[in-house]
Amino acid sequence: MYEKEKDLARALARRSISRRELIDRVGKAGLSASAAYYFMGRAGTEAMAQDFDWKQHAGKSVKLLLNKHPYADAMIANIQAFKDLTGMDVTYDVFPEDVYFDKVTAALSSGSSEYDAFMTGAYMTWTYGPAGWAVDLAEFINDPAKTAPNWNWDDFLPGLRASTAWDGVPGSELGSGDAKQWCIPWGFELNNISYNRVMFEKAGLATPNNMSELMEVAAKAQADLGGPYGIGVRGSRSWATIHPGFLSGYANFDQKDLVMQDGVLKAAMNTDVSKSFHKDWVKMIQDSGPRDWSTYTWYQVGTDLGAGASAMIFDADILGYFMNGGDNAEAGNLGYAAFAANPEASAPTPNVWIWSLAMSTYAKDKDAAWTFMQWASSQEHALFGAREMDFVNPVRQSVWDDEAFTNRIKSNYPGYVEQFQASAPGSKIYFTPQPLFFDLTTEWASMLQQMVANEVPVDEGLDQLAESVDRQLKDAGLG
Amino acid sequence: MEHTSTLERVLRGIALSLIVLFFMFPLFWIFLMSFQTNETILRIPPSLFFEPTLGNYKALITGKLDTAAGSLDIAFMKNLWNSVLLSTSAVVLSLILGVPAAYAFARHKFRGSEDIAFTLLSFRFAPPLLVLLPLTIYFQQLGLADTYVGLIWVYQLICLPLILWIVRGYFEDISADVEYAYRIAGHGWFATFRKIALPLAGPGIAAAGLLAFIFAWNNFVFALVLASADKQPVTVAALAFVTASGIQYGQIAAGIVLSITPTLAIALYAQRYLVEGLSLGAVKG
Repeated sequence: MYEKEKDLARALARRSISRRELIDRVGKAGLSASAAYYFMGRAGTEAMAQDFDWKQHAGKSVKLLLNKHPYADAMIANIQAFKDLTGMDVTYDVFPEDVYFDKVTAALSSGSSEYDAFMTGAYMTWTYGPAGWAVDLAEFINDPAKTAPNWNWDDFLPGLRASTAWDGVPGSELGSGDAKQWCIPWGFELNNISYNRVMFEKAGLATPNNMSELMEVAAKAQADLGGPYGIGVRGSRSWATIHPGFLSGYANFDQKDLVMQDGVLKAAMNTDVSKSFHKDWVKMIQDSGPRDWSTYTWYQVGTDLGAGASAMIFDADILGYFMNGGDNAEAGNLGYAAFAANPEASAPTPNVWIWSLAMSTYAKDKDAAWTFMQWASSQEHALFGAREMDFVNPVRQSVWDDEAFTNRIKSNYPGYVEQFQASAPGSKIYFTPQPLFFDLTTEWASMLQQMVANEVPVDEGLDQLAESVDRQLKDAGLG
Repeated sequence: MEHTSTLERVLRGIALSLIVLFFMFPLFWIFLMSFQTNETILRIPPSLFFEPTLGNYKALITGKLDTAAGSLDIAFMKNLWNSVLLSTSAVVLSLILGVPAAYAFARHKFRGSEDIAFTLLSFRFAPPLLVLLPLTIYFQQLGLADTYVGLIWVYQLICLPLILWIVRGYFEDISADVEYAYRIAGHGWFATFRKIALPLAGPGIAAAGLLAFIFAWNNFVFALVLASADKQPVTVAALAFVTASGIQYGQIAAGIVLSITPTLAIALYAQRYLVEGLSLGAVKG
């Protein structure tokens, strides 16, 4: 049964037919799209199984803790391929993002052995790793008995490999010599401009090339379009307000959150350059941002762009990607542009959020868990997700080199591949890794709110913030 | 006899209408949203006129949700059932344990009775997150983690103190003389409790049970931490429509309508008991 379809899958693996052709032929055979995905996954599976014993943990089962996300959806859509390849079983719990990290923290801090592997952000591993809740994955990556030769760790984008590794020493560089690999990059987002092409055309606007232009374009869009506001950025009292567009622009002026001085960490957000950047950012929000900016999170920024309530956003590129589809009013109208805030900078410096896979210290069978993680982060699965699902942005260079993927993106998301290519070399985490990360960035966001509300002048506010940060670092024995 | 002027009646009517409008409008708006697509919900400016769709309810009931990221499986109805099961079982267990205890605290003063009652009430003081981690560890050791029995047990932290203290106040308000008269007629204390105290305290017990049900229904943190995805209540499930690829406002609204329907129906049915029970239990002479 299904021999014809299996032949098609093999043909796909040999690249003698295209994926679209496979879907068409499977469709003609009276099978569904999910069946087509199955056969595609099978094609990748057969290619993988050639030079590594994927069956060494056959009969075992792993349990995953997943966030409700398109990355998890792509994995679930292809899970049969993993089961076929390894003979293993996989169960998973999917929780909404709003409560996901509460669930992860509760499971790990209680020493629960229920979950073997879980999704995480790289920032979170700065807590999980030193606490001993996550496993250093370098021992698996470097063990040829446990890792397939064609898994190819070097294929992962270098900035992402480094950003997910830390030696646990506050302030030390991510990915430096003794860094432990707390997680494997799975999918990521960098921060650039996503804009409404129709609105820009109507108002005769060009995409901005630096901070001054960004402020001008946002103000002009707001003035000329008669309804939509100029630019969407996040503003809630959360670390998530600092990490997207704001930090990407800030880092482009070579500014830091903290610096190491005489062996201790010091706040660095009250330099003259930083104050100047903050003044521009605050003015941009006051002039052209959303009215209730201080409540804005990922969801509001994205929803407004998709609904035509804003002309552009300076946020995650994949947020703009998602808003260009589905039942959004502006689906198909969005474009993308790389953005370097500093006119003197040679390239953009987007801070990144990396959805990653980590292994619980309390995993019942770590080798089995690694087998799953290895498959889920493999080139084969990444290609499946990138070509057929919304598993973007891929973390592997080989996927960005894949024409089937880039052609799909180029035809539906104008400027997306170009903004990625222009930004990828400078993409990494620009925060200083240290255990007070969430507290300090939340306070930074709070100060930003006060500045935008004109409750405190920017210069004074940043001096106050630096003083408070220094005090907290000192109290924690870091400063 | 007190007379009110026409003007007073009109003003009172307007004031009442405004209050009703103020409280009911969000519910009304959510009800309307549940029959709209995301596109019509988010249009600028918002409008009361739209082409209604049952798509949101269909997605929830069939368990298939179409989003920008493709078709996703959702388990909303399973979560709704979990809420019904957990809340109902927890309240029934609390009533079985709490009503006799409330009677004992009201009628039989014994050494340490106030301390015990206060300890039970103190369960309501502790922030859930404070007790959840130790509970998680104990539950894992006892094999109660990720079980309905474990969750119903932990829901007693919500329901039991509420029922105990409301019903205790109610028992204390009922004259003990009626019970003494029944005892003198030769009946035991259990028969007195069953035949006299329980029927008289009926409205109070109903009110306490209803309130406990609402509190249990609205809780999500216990199940979130202590159980897997397949045992989550509707309060956690509702968040699943807030995804990285967009917020499914229509499905959230339909989910709210479906999830408040049981509590609303019970509250409407029992509102007479609720007002009577709470006011009698609360006012002491």
